[in-house]
Amino acid sequence: MDLHSEIILEEYRSQLPVFEKMQAEVMRILQEAVARRGLHVTTLESRIKKEDSLCGKLALKGSKYHSLSDITDILGARIVTFYTDDVDRIASMVEQEFDIDWQNSVDKRMLHQLDRFGYNSLHYICRLPGYVYPFELQLRTTLQHAWASINHDIGYKSGVEIPREYLRRINRLAGILELADDEFSRIRAEITDYRRRVHQLVQNGKLDDVLLDGDTFGSYLQARPFDALNKRIAAINQAEIEEVPLTRYLRVFKAFGCKTLGDVQRLKHQYEDAAYRLARHQLGNTDLDIISSAVGVQNLCIVYVIANGGGKIGLVHLFDAINGHNTQNEEIADVTYNLAKSMQL
Amino acid sequence: MKTEIVASGNQVIAKFSGRLDTAAAVQTAEDVKPLMEAANKEIILDCTALEYISSSGLRIFLGIRKEAAPHGSKVIVRNINADIRQVFIMTGFVSLFEIQ
Repeated sequence: MDLHSEIILEEYRSQLPVFEKMQAEVMRILQEAVARRGLHVTTLESRIKKEDSLCGKLALKGSKYHSLSDITDILGARIVTFYTDDVDRIASMVEQEFDIDWQNSVDKRMLHQLDRFGYNSLHYICRLPGYVYPFELQLRTTLQHAWASINHDIGYKSGVEIPREYLRRINRLAGILELADDEFSRIRAEITDYRRRVHQLVQNGKLDDVLLDGDTFGSYLQARPFDALNKRIAAINQAEIEEVPLTRYLRVFKAFGCKTLGDVQRLKHQYEDAAYRLARHQLGNTDLDIISSAVGVQNLCIVYVIANGGGKIGLVHLFDAINGHNTQNEEIADVTYNLAKSMQL
Repeated sequence: MKTEIVASGNQVIAKFSGRLDTAAAVQTAEDVKPLMEAANKEIILDCTALEYISSSGLRIFLGIRKEAAPHGSKVIVRNINADIRQVFIMTGFVSLFEIQ
């Protein structure tokens, strides 16, 4: 190593505490900025270049650097996201949080020739106020990161130059991953759009147009369709209502043959008076003043089973679907069936 | 009303006996406090000898469930008699607890 490189190396050793301080500050700023914007990142990491790695760099191209501050990756940070459009969101966040050295920053996604594939990540050279040294920030998707890591492992670790044919095969894989990245982003956008449309249909009451599934039932529940029935039941004893998730009733309505949210809504309209009468009959002679928000839909389902000839077996299946299968469900079904029959529901 | 807490392997068992009514609720709420500290364990509310439960008792069960969830613990209600079973059905608490 020549004298010039030795001077840079000496500066590196003396400035390590400064880089450590910078690293902590950069990580804090990034973590807070990501949390504030509600962005989802899979990896947020940083490292300070090791001395032997810097020595290697100086040995190769030491004369290119006038001083340590010309080497932009002594401190490097990396953010990895699932989706390509999140990379753009993170990029916009980084531009707001740090001063960017645009002359030295590279969006390799833009540099690619039309007939070539390769490493598609975004590199920003950033500066933190109060520090003379720049740092490098890499933004990638998970797939880009996987490709870059494997490419590094295959290409640089062996110490032997890789024949062109293998390089070509590695780069073909980058093309496939780019397609996959785009497709994942498109799928996410389409699912978000689908959920929005379903939510709109639920809001507009066009429930017959909405097929019953996990997503649509979730949107339906957001409209709190069983609230009115629960409040009627709560009024019997001036009870408080304990909120519980009702998503497990999806499989019950499916087992009843409901195909759309419209079917669920019709079932509710048809049986809610009987469900209320069942609750009044049960709670009216007690001083129980706490109920769960499942009581309305639970009673609807009990009444539906009895009214449609499901009998005790039908109730056992119902409680198995609500609580999971266990022998106590038979006894619960037995008590419920006898009560419901006595009321001639 | 008596409450006994027994730790056994990955389970913490609260054995209730007697009538869990409004009068007994204050002491019972105090007695079940060790259950709230059980992290990542199965909490069994053994009701084999429990004769009666009021709204106050249901609130204690609910409190145990609420405290257990953030600690990754699961709450199971075991061996309830016919009357208590009826209470769990009419209040919709059957949808809240795993009942064995």
